[in-house]
Amino acid sequence: MRRREARIGLLFVLPVLLLFLAFRFGPAIAGGLLAFTDYTIGAETSWTGLDNLQRMVDDPLFWRALRTTLIYSVLAVPLSILAALGMALLVRRSFRGVKLFRSMFFLPVVTSLVLAGIVFTWIFSADGPWSSLLGAVGLPSGSWLSDTTLVVPALVIVAVWTRFGFGMLILLARLQDIPRELEEAALTDGANAWHRFRYIVLPELKPALFFLAVIETTVSFQVFDTVYVMTGGGPAQSSYMLVFQLYDQAFRYFDFGYASAIGLALFVMTLVVALIQRLTLGRDR
Amino acid sequence: MTALSTPAALDADVASAPPGERRPYKALEPTRGGKAARAVLLFLAAVVTLFPFYAMVVLSLKPTGAIVMPEALLPWPISGEAYEHVLGAESVLRWTLNTAVYSIVSVVAVLFLASLAGYAFARKRFPGKEVMFWSFIAMIMVPYHVTLVPSFIVISEAGGVNTYWGLILPTLANAQAVFLMRQFIKSLPDELFEAAMLDGCSEWRMYVSMVLPLIKPILATLGVFVFLWHWNDFLWPLIVGQSSDMRTLTTGLASLNAENAPLNVVLAGSVVAFVPIFMAYLVGQRYFTEGVTMTGVKG
Repeated sequence: MRRREARIGLLFVLPVLLLFLAFRFGPAIAGGLLAFTDYTIGAETSWTGLDNLQRMVDDPLFWRALRTTLIYSVLAVPLSILAALGMALLVRRSFRGVKLFRSMFFLPVVTSLVLAGIVFTWIFSADGPWSSLLGAVGLPSGSWLSDTTLVVPALVIVAVWTRFGFGMLILLARLQDIPRELEEAALTDGANAWHRFRYIVLPELKPALFFLAVIETTVSFQVFDTVYVMTGGGPAQSSYMLVFQLYDQAFRYFDFGYASAIGLALFVMTLVVALIQRLTLGRDR
Repeated sequence: MTALSTPAALDADVASAPPGERRPYKALEPTRGGKAARAVLLFLAAVVTLFPFYAMVVLSLKPTGAIVMPEALLPWPISGEAYEHVLGAESVLRWTLNTAVYSIVSVVAVLFLASLAGYAFARKRFPGKEVMFWSFIAMIMVPYHVTLVPSFIVISEAGGVNTYWGLILPTLANAQAVFLMRQFIKSLPDELFEAAMLDGCSEWRMYVSMVLPLIKPILATLGVFVFLWHWNDFLWPLIVGQSSDMRTLTTGLASLNAENAPLNVVLAGSVVAFVPIFMAYLVGQRYFTEGVTMTGVKG
């Protein structure tokens, strides 16, 4: 009976296990090892030790991609969380049509980043609506995507547009759990809206905000689709970011070893964020 | 996994008190001024949210070469030219077919494999169970891009570039799906399974006639989510489906865009790619939001 159960259990798990070995565990280990080789398709592979890492450290383009990725994330993460928080508070209480608004604000999340990229390319083009709008209020107009300083902010705007609905949903779920009596009691005690937000709502939201911060940071570190569609890393490599460089090295230059080294850097960055979250949350509890 | 406990937040109604509990006063409701401010903010947010969709649809209905601001934003003149072009192009139809195959086969396969494994992890005792399960979960932490290159090498060496199986197979190793299935099946009452055991039900029949009907809710939620993820997926189809007849809608449209095809044509293609997701969202909104909050991230 016991043996039979074990056999059935293993049998049911087997297909998934094989898939994981071939496409998750294996590649994860291989991804680490490849970084120390000069692997490329159709050629002899040899160990190159720390060559790829050394090359990465010496590669100005890598540092540039890293810096751009960090700047992008430092802008995109807080802005999308702030937008998510604002929108969650706005549609928190029930009113006529509230469900319609909530669904509407979630719509960009189900939209593919490629479609968003295509539409926003036009929005940010020299004769697009963004430029017209800026011109109309007396600001310098022109294409943000061909401006070396404004291209990253343009990508950030797209990120906020595509991401805020997700954060809104997470925060909304937490907001629903705050007992109404808590706020009503504070109200009777004369707390104004800001105080109620600051001392009741915000502390309740803290874990959810941390959770969001980690997810949004990871997503930002891995930005690719919009860069590929909207800028191709340009102009003059001013929107060249890490995953784009990984893609470029692997699938344009077929330098799989170097691409894996960049993947390793990305992995370390993700780990550091997870670690920071652990430590900060640990302190708060 | 914080988000596991977030049910359909979009449907929830905060202000309606639970039955039998009358709210003493409406003091937390906004004042008239507050309501006005909220209305203004909501209006602005709605404009910002919807504008790209509006632009996508309106510009796709323009005759070629007629896209000049600000007239471009007016809903006339209307022309079906771009759609005739897109729907008449074999390539776009082929991309739609590829996207449908990629999404639908993956959904069915992920649901089947993950529910089998989830059932075993939740209800069976076998050697190595815990180690296996937790190493699956640990893989959620490893960024997708670390495994991207080696997965491509595996597929490429096996001759899977530009094939459906090469496109689909690696995406079936879905740790989140296994995790959610296992959690859900674990939460079902033991008695159900014990009774079936006593009946001498075969394992396969047990899975088909007991487990599958019981897990319908999670199948729907996860199914919608996996569908959404595959339909919108970009990077993997980009590197595996390299030939033009193996592109999906996302990679095909990106290539059209990169080749400087007329904007109305690219946007008509975008509308074609968006409509199925939009329809699905209208019908099964609950499942979308549950799936996205439960699994946390795309991918």
